Amino acid sequence: MAKGFVVIDVDRCKGCGLCTNVCPANILALSRDAFNAKGYHPVVVTDVEKCIGCASCARICPDVVFTVYRQKRQTQRTNVQAAAAAVPVV
Amino acid sequence: MTKELLKGNVAFAEAAVRYGLQAYFGYPITPQSEALEHLSERMIDEGRVFLQAESEVAAINMVYGAACAGVRVMTSTSGPGFSLMAEGFSYIAGSEVPVVAVNMMRGGPGLGNIQPSQSDYFFMTKSAGHGDFHPIVLAPANVQELIDMMGLAFDLAEKYRTLVFVAGDGALGQMMESAELPPMQPVRTERPDWAVTGNAGRESRVITSLYLDPDQLEKLNLHLQRKLALIKKNEIRWQEYQTEDADLLLIAYGTVGRTCLSVMREARQQGLKVGLLRPQTLWPFAEARITELAGQVRGILVAEMSAGQMLEDVERAAQGKVPIRFHGRMGGIMPMVDEILADVGKLAEEVGVGSRE
Repeated sequence: MAKGFVVIDVDRCKGCGLCTNVCPANILALSRDAFNAKGYHPVVVTDVEKCIGCASCARICPDVVFTVYRQKRQTQRTNVQAAAAAVPVV
Repeated sequence: MTKELLKGNVAFAEAAVRYGLQAYFGYPITPQSEALEHLSERMIDEGRVFLQAESEVAAINMVYGAACAGVRVMTSTSGPGFSLMAEGFSYIAGSEVPVVAVNMMRGGPGLGNIQPSQSDYFFMTKSAGHGDFHPIVLAPANVQELIDMMGLAFDLAEKYRTLVFVAGDGALGQMMESAELPPMQPVRTERPDWAVTGNAGRESRVITSLYLDPDQLEKLNLHLQRKLALIKKNEIRWQEYQTEDADLLLIAYGTVGRTCLSVMREARQQGLKVGLLRPQTLWPFAEARITELAGQVRGILVAEMSAGQMLEDVERAAQGKVPIRFHGRMGGIMPMVDEILADVGKLAEEVGVGSRE
């Protein structure tokens, strides 16, 4: 499971590309064919599994496009434990 | 006063409110729509006039009407909307009423796209409508300058009873950066002595651009030309950076002018003596200063987001004294520092100046 995930408010995006430069996981890119309501190519996440929830995108974005959710550490552990518990011991 | 993080479009709209804008008429178009969004709330809050017209043609005629009534009025749009306003611009010029219009230029021709461009230079400086006239054209390069130039635009429009354009581009309108807004100024209550305000108790005033008698129309034209000459004498504005010892001169305005500031710094680091001249008024244009500098430098590089429009004015001003090269991008592409820098390098080689000297 990814450490974080971002929700993109597509119609706020003006396609400036600042986020694509700062994403350390390199998983943000401007859409090549989709347009938003304003007519810009909005940002898209190319690989949701690689998001580390660092929120660099949210910090750089001048138009408040991003909402970043981070997986709680404890939840992560719990999930792992839960997953481990769910695996049937053969 | 404090600095705020402002988007260009919101910044010029709010600046206009604070400089005492009494009426706004416009029609939304990207990349300028945030201005309408902002004004639709602010103007109503302040008890002033905001009206979204059915088209840019309607908007500019409403602006014309309000200007005739002597109120501080403006509109804003982008390329295609600006084209639609051309007829109104000509009427406004012929009638000599003060109007401010902001054009956040986008890629053209036609509907083009919504990315930044400077391809309305010819249109704005030389042929904003039929007839013999030039508007004053201001060219801000950052959000702070955009704010400051709104005040200047209203002052010049009213001082000369003329049309003033603020020439931004899609990047400037969409860019968010910190800037300081002016304090709120009181709205002017008295009307100018030429305004049509109802003729109760006085003789009628007539504002028109229709003169069927050729003698009268020529008289008006001669008067307009004298006014334009006065504007040319008083209102040319530009900024210079490190031109004192420059071998090479960059000339660029607006967003590209700002890019060229970085180009200049990098070129200087490479040992090239590069200076920058950034016109702040596109009309009237810093011709005399460019003529002077053309006698000092060994080469000029003009950069624009167009096929080379200001380039023609630079060529005219430089009077063939030095080689002039051009770097232009079109269709909404912004030139990057590296690519302009490469052309500076080529020019340096061509005219034989460089770090090896």
